[in-house]
Amino acid sequence: MSALLEQLAPEAALAEDRYADIRRRAHQRLMQHGFPDLKTEAWKYTSLRLLEKRELGSGQGESAGAPEALPFAADVIHFDGGVLRNPPAELPTGVRLEPLDPAELVNVDYGDRAGAMAWLNLARFEQAWRLVIESTLERPLVLALTMPAGFATAVHPRLRIDVATGAEAVLIEQQHDEGAGLVNIVEDIELQRGARLRHVIHRRNAESIWVQRTRVSVSADADYRCHALELAGRLVRQDLAVHLLEQGANGEIDGVAFIDSGQHVDWHTAIDHEVGHTTSREAFRIMADGSGVGVFNGRIHIQRGADDSHSDLNTANLLLSDKARINIKPELEIYAEEVTASHGATIGQLEDSALFYLRTRGLPTEDAMALLKFGFAAAPLETAEPEVVRNWLIEELQAVL
Amino acid sequence: MLKINNLHVVIGDEEILKGLDLEIGPGELHAIMGPNGSGKSTLGYALAGRDGYEVTDGSMEFEGEDLAEMEPEERAAAGLFLAFQYPVEIPGVNNAYFLRSALNAQRKARGEEEVDSMNFLKTVRASLKSLKMDEALLKRAVNEGFSGGEKKRNEIVQMAVLQPKLAVLDETDSGLDIDALKLVAEGINAQRDGKRSFLVITHYQRLLDYLTPDRVHVLSDGRIVESGGEELAERLEAEGYAFLEETSEA
Ligand SMILES: Nc1ncnc2c1ncn2[C@@H]1O[C@H](COP(=O)(O)OP(=O)(O)O)[C@@H](O)[C@H]1O
Ligand SMILES: [Mg+2]
Repeated sequence: MSALLEQLAPEAALAEDRYADIRRRAHQRLMQHGFPDLKTEAWKYTSLRLLEKRELGSGQGESAGAPEALPFAADVIHFDGGVLRNPPAELPTGVRLEPLDPAELVNVDYGDRAGAMAWLNLARFEQAWRLVIESTLERPLVLALTMPAGFATAVHPRLRIDVATGAEAVLIEQQHDEGAGLVNIVEDIELQRGARLRHVIHRRNAESIWVQRTRVSVSADADYRCHALELAGRLVRQDLAVHLLEQGANGEIDGVAFIDSGQHVDWHTAIDHEVGHTTSREAFRIMADGSGVGVFNGRIHIQRGADDSHSDLNTANLLLSDKARINIKPELEIYAEEVTASHGATIGQLEDSALFYLRTRGLPTEDAMALLKFGFAAAPLETAEPEVVRNWLIEELQAVL
Repeated sequence: MLKINNLHVVIGDEEILKGLDLEIGPGELHAIMGPNGSGKSTLGYALAGRDGYEVTDGSMEFEGEDLAEMEPEERAAAGLFLAFQYPVEIPGVNNAYFLRSALNAQRKARGEEEVDSMNFLKTVRASLKSLKMDEALLKRAVNEGFSGGEKKRNEIVQMAVLQPKLAVLDETDSGLDIDALKLVAEGINAQRDGKRSFLVITHYQRLLDYLTPDRVHVLSDGRIVESGGEELAERLEAEGYAFLEETSEA
């Protein structure tokens, strides 16, 4: 893997700006640990060998043009080709966007090789932004990240998002790749006391290798809810870690991934109850067709002393072909008392009896299958708010079935 | 309308229907009775075209067309409907959406225009009301969490919306209390217009009290062993299926 290090993080290429020391330190850590391989537990089912095979060029990619229009009113910040080329002339009331203070990055730690991609991001990022949501937003805020067809380099977007005390927002990550490069995102989201964030991830990729590490910190009485519509791509790895830091914090993840031939999607989620009187819920569904591969690892960690915490984790999965594969692993680690934690996990196939039933009502096989798939996959999206966003997600799902 | 001739149906290696003959004319309502395991549901599934129900001999003709040559959805579009003995739950699929998709799929196959949403809703609502079903069921997933009786009545709602030429009702009366039974019978009678035909599979005579069948058949071990008028149903009710052996021995 050292050739890969040389290719992805050549020392000479490190830019000399106010983040230079931070990049150097990250680079050293990366050199020290190397990249994960299949023996690295967290990367057991997802290989980065594709990265080695690709000769990614360097330098900023091209512009991807405007992101797809949304069927509702929203404010958009466009990371065009992975970078913010033109900071928006005007931001909605209550939103601030500024370069991230290097001091914020001095002590970050991504651990060993399992965190290599995050170290790589820190070693190679061009831009680091801090988005502050200071007060309740009137309409959804969209972070559009689009990669154009010719994209064959590596980008390492880095973003910190703060939702201020008591503020409420709907934040939509609209991610669309048409290229064949590497997109390696690190984002940190912090919800201050009583804040409420509806976080939507909508992703539809082509050939790019897409690695995204999202860490969410939830303070007292704050409420974080994620809705993900993962329409997959050549290789997607999403880590989503939600840390419930103070009493009254709530964290919820609802996601669905639809994976087809030539696609590999790996979602690693972790909800960490660090103190008591915190609640969480997660429902994740994977549908894999063709030779598609899906991985879901859902970890619930209730720490010692986090008494009176409640958690529910459910994953249901559907194999649509003989060649498709799905690996799921719910992990419950409970070290506290007076805790309720439930979990369920299933992998199944479309029911012949249901298919026949629909056909006897006149639906051709294709339509009947689409309806059954939709019935299965729409459930995690049905709790999305507001309604316009929910309807959009459901229509986007319907369009690919 | 329906002409079944010497029908043999095999599931796996087992022959279930062993030379069944049945003819139903336009506007007629026939009843099939018979002991458990005699092949009643198998007949329904074979007519509807379920995978694994292999027709090894004989024929099924529906309005002059060979059913065996048609896919289940083609049979539906041609006007054949099967009310399932055990209606299937379709998680996550909204009942109203399902009904409208089904109706439109049939109309499309017949070269007709899509149904107008207002008219559609009106038909569905009227039918729900006549079956004393809560309109909220439209927003629920198909059959999911429905009580046994609601599932059966939901089959009749589907029939009312899809307006088939021939409806095969497989024990739609089982598990219904007397009030629900009457509603189902009314739902069927409301569809009788002298042209539509019905094949009512039942265990009990009580449904037939409300339906006045043109013919009653007794199915036993994969064959129709007895046919007659309404009085046959009464006799079965009174004597059970025991007399079948006597007749076949005689
Ligand atoms: N899927 C199946 N595989 C094998 N045998 C079946 C299957 N379905 C039904 N049978 C058999 O076929 C016979 C007739 O069943 P069925 O048509 O359901 O009877 P009825 O509806 O009259 O009670 C029974 O002996 C039953 O065990
Ligand atoms: Mg039966």
